[in-house]
Amino acid sequence: MPAAPFVELRNISKYFAKVVANQDVSLQIRKGEVLALLGENGAGKSTIMKVLYGLYKAEEGQILLDGEEKVINSPKDAMRLGIAMIQQHFALVQAHTVTENIILGLVRGRFDRKHYDKIVAELAADHGFAVDPAAVVSELPVGVQQKVEILKALYQNAQLLIMDEPTAVLTPQESDALMNFMQQNTRAGKAVVFITHKLREVMEVADRIVVMRNGRVVGDLRKEETDEIELSKLMVGREIHDRTYVQDSGFGSRPVALELQNVSLREPKEELFRLKNISFQVHKGEVLGIAGVSGNGQDSLCDAISGYRRLTKGKILLNGENITAKSVRERIQIGIGYVPSDRQRYGLIMSMKLTENMFLKRSFEEVWVKRALIDEPKLDAYTTEKIHTYAVKATGPDAVARSLSGGNQQKVILAREVDLGSEAIIFDQPTRGLDLGAIEHIHRTILNEKEKGKAIVLISTELSEIFGLSDRIAVIYRGEILGIYKNRELDTEKIGLLMAGYTPGTAPETSQPCEQ
Amino acid sequence: MNSKLRDFLVTNILAVVLGLTASGLLLLFLGENPLAAMGTLFGSLFRDSYTFADIFVKATPLMFTALAFAFTFQANLFNIGAQGQFYIGAITAVGFSLLLQDKLPGLLVLIIVLVLTILFGGLWGGLIGWLKARFNANEFLVSMMSSYVALNIMNYLLRTLLLESKGEYPQTNPLDSAVWLQTIVPGTRLHSGFILAVLSCIGIWVLLYKTPLGFRIRAVGQGKDAAEMAGINYKTLYVVAFFISGALAAIGGFTEVNGVQHMLVQGFNPDIGAAGIGIAILANGNPIGIIFAAILFGALKVGGTIMGQLSGIPSSITELMLGFVMVFVILAYFVREKLEDNREKAKLKKTTVNA
Amino acid sequence: MIELLSRTIMMGTPLLYGSLSEVYAERSGVMNTAIEGIFLIGAWAGFVAAYQTGGNLLIGLLAAIAAGVLTAALYGWICVYLKQHQIVTGVAINLLALGFTAFFQRVIFGVPVTPLIVQPLRPIAIPFLSDLPGIGPILFNQNILTYLLFILVPLANFVLFKTALGLSIRSIGENPEAGDVAGVRVDRLRFLTILFAGVMCGVGGAFYSIGYLGMFTTTIIGGRGWIAFAICFLGNWKPLGVLAGTLVFGLAEAVAIYMQSSGASFFPNELFIALPYILTIVLTVARRSFNVPAQLGVPYRKEG
Repeated sequence: MPAAPFVELRNISKYFAKVVANQDVSLQIRKGEVLALLGENGAGKSTIMKVLYGLYKAEEGQILLDGEEKVINSPKDAMRLGIAMIQQHFALVQAHTVTENIILGLVRGRFDRKHYDKIVAELAADHGFAVDPAAVVSELPVGVQQKVEILKALYQNAQLLIMDEPTAVLTPQESDALMNFMQQNTRAGKAVVFITHKLREVMEVADRIVVMRNGRVVGDLRKEETDEIELSKLMVGREIHDRTYVQDSGFGSRPVALELQNVSLREPKEELFRLKNISFQVHKGEVLGIAGVSGNGQDSLCDAISGYRRLTKGKILLNGENITAKSVRERIQIGIGYVPSDRQRYGLIMSMKLTENMFLKRSFEEVWVKRALIDEPKLDAYTTEKIHTYAVKATGPDAVARSLSGGNQQKVILAREVDLGSEAIIFDQPTRGLDLGAIEHIHRTILNEKEKGKAIVLISTELSEIFGLSDRIAVIYRGEILGIYKNRELDTEKIGLLMAGYTPGTAPETSQPCEQ
Repeated sequence: MNSKLRDFLVTNILAVVLGLTASGLLLLFLGENPLAAMGTLFGSLFRDSYTFADIFVKATPLMFTALAFAFTFQANLFNIGAQGQFYIGAITAVGFSLLLQDKLPGLLVLIIVLVLTILFGGLWGGLIGWLKARFNANEFLVSMMSSYVALNIMNYLLRTLLLESKGEYPQTNPLDSAVWLQTIVPGTRLHSGFILAVLSCIGIWVLLYKTPLGFRIRAVGQGKDAAEMAGINYKTLYVVAFFISGALAAIGGFTEVNGVQHMLVQGFNPDIGAAGIGIAILANGNPIGIIFAAILFGALKVGGTIMGQLSGIPSSITELMLGFVMVFVILAYFVREKLEDNREKAKLKKTTVNA
Repeated sequence: MIELLSRTIMMGTPLLYGSLSEVYAERSGVMNTAIEGIFLIGAWAGFVAAYQTGGNLLIGLLAAIAAGVLTAALYGWICVYLKQHQIVTGVAINLLALGFTAFFQRVIFGVPVTPLIVQPLRPIAIPFLSDLPGIGPILFNQNILTYLLFILVPLANFVLFKTALGLSIRSIGENPEAGDVAGVRVDRLRFLTILFAGVMCGVGGAFYSIGYLGMFTTTIIGGRGWIAFAICFLGNWKPLGVLAGTLVFGLAEAVAIYMQSSGASFFPNELFIALPYILTIVLTVARRSFNVPAQLGVPYRKEG
């Protein structure tokens, strides 16, 4: 059994300009142990670890290593003390090679590229990672990029490895492999901190679980002493309702609203197709779920339907009309709504008021203009009404988008797109990074719109969301649709294999996917 | 008054004071008493109506070049070439005024010249926007370089086509008083161009904040990707924004030629573009704020020049003052960010303690 | 012809000092938009120090470096540590530099009756090498600042691409967070590249006053700092790329000077004076695949 704590955090408090991130947080990390740091988005899990890693400076509190107080002012200090951290959004230089990324900050003076390429290759081989040291990171799939991050930590020979939401970008099988790696790592006497909001993973891999909520620690439990129900209660602070939704199976009898025929997309100067020969139909009143590991063409699919990118080949039809040649503006006008995954970049203008964000896609509509000027009273009234209907927590229509929480920002986009998307709506990762309350609200909205007879495309990497809302499910892998299934025809295992690119018949015996 | 506006006014006033103090202290090197010099600077402004009116005369072209920078800035574009666009406007104004003044009534000439100035300045600027939209050329560099090109065009024309009849200096013949912008306060140089400048500021404010076009320009500036996703064609707006920007700076050249100089002289107003940028940032890019900031800069220019005449302090002190004021204004931005940050933090601590 | 190429190298020298340092600054993610002002300050400080010490060019050069570094430090402090806008700050500093040099030129020298001059750097013919036919007089009959570049260019290339320091600089321009997480002190390194730019641009500016003309006016730089800035873009942020770019601009300037001095010309003088600026526009537009550092011009802000 693990002995004295390796790392101890005492009464850490950290305030940001807009939010309290940590208040009086104390926790211990022991050698030979996988510690899961569990909590909803915004619970302060990442923040406390970033304090430990020297990225943030805490307002109050102490950090102890092997019982001795340490001051960690920068990641350099943390690295010197044997701490490594893999960020949620990988901190890799996309334009550089694998080796350059791994040795960044760890070499001095002149370095011989070939020499380090060899060392990295050996290190990768030791851990069974198939990674080409000379490859440029931007050309690697996300799963491999994560391995580069892990290799960087291994190269430092870190005693404590902190991983922030590492499974978000992986297939279920890849996640399993990662969990295996964590356990192996602790068997060698090292410590792992695993930040997550997924209960299943916690129960699978953790030895001990620290639960956080609203910046505070609300539970510190051994795995044997607890179960998923208790953990979820701690995490959310209340009972959560089992999210099963009634499926409407009658969609097939209704007419097709949105149709893609052999859609292919290739960037002007690239060899690779972003989308290959994609065809599907979405009926009125149907939710078509698109499952897949992120980075497999979901963005391009949205670009194609919204009109942001011209197709290289193929056709898109709305209610039988060919809309392939229509611009973004025209597609908005004929009733295609789009809730983008990167809402802060594509959905909202963060520095603008809510009224302005509501006006964003309507600036060409004459009903909002009076004597050449924007009809502000009308716009204010409209926005205020939407704020009420969607229960957006904001000081009013003049609030700046940036001042809202992520969930409320998403509600604003929803309010706008639901109105604009009178025929079809694309939801790309609509709940990513949101807390459970907001997620429930968004799911209800999606189902409501479906009831109204709109055609809905739901792109998500969260399988629970796909299973919970879709009538049919399509799996996307490297820009191709590997199959479209009725919701009940698939289970986690089967969809996982599809997401990793194994079509039925080619599936291997073991569930362990090969390294790329 | 809300705390943000208060911060804005307080820090900017402080910045101006500190900027003047810093340049004042340098006067010690000349053995001048800074306080006395500053006293002269500001005191002299009120010595007679002619001098006082000159503040607004100086402010007039500054408003235009400041608007030129502020306008493209709203689209997150950098028009550093207002100086050149100003010259293009001046060339157009003097050229067509000389050409038409004998042939048409004065007022008609002024209107035609104004339209042509807008057209040529707009095209000169719009070209930059087009290069940006079509070739993704760096508009910062292109606009910067275009100023030097415009300067050389002006120099060339002053030596050839527009050279005065005497052929002595690189300058044009004087304009007929018929095509001068009308003096609005008798006994001073204050001309109707000032009214045009103020109206332009107000007009640009309305355009930016009250019309769909202005909204789209701001949307592209603050969130290009979101704007594009909303069906807004940013490329067209780049050209439009630069056209308007170039036209604005060019009108500055027109008011200066037809309102003040009544001719075109080589190398006049060489730092009007840079000062315009300073005014635009002092006003935080707000067209209404530009009116006041330009008047302030105008006062410094007038006062600085008189100070030079009275006490032998070199006139370069005005550039020094403008430079220092600009640096401190930028520091004021930082201070405001800090103040806002601390306020948020304090609010938060209070609410969590109470919770 | 040889005369022209020799002049090309000479006129390219200060531009190369500027653009080499701009490569470093921009690779680290900071545009040095104060470049024009630093050139001007360097030219002025170099001239004043040299003049006051009776023509001691070494002291002039050191003064130029010191003044350049101080100006750069002000710029770097505002842009790197205070995270303010780089283009706006650059404009302010350039205007300040203009006022400052004009003012102190008057303070120090009053209104001189005769033009103030110092004997500028002389070319040093390198024995044997300068006798080589063709390239001898072109490459090996230059002044010391040019020779220094024979070392600096390969060195800059080596450091940027073959050393840990270069890797860190390139990384923080692409993804400062990656650098930060890996223990690179982002702001400090960015500030240092700006100070380096202060040294180099100080020298570049001094080249015009004490390396070439032997005098100072406030229009002595006349946008050449911006041309060095542009060369960095056109040279694709590579030391060897800016070397090539510099030669093109050096040639343009040498041609302009040649045409002006030859007098008899079909084209107006102004066209040749404007040639480098026009060339910049044309090349900026024509330039295709860019390797812009991903975070160029974006201050690194992290919460906390």
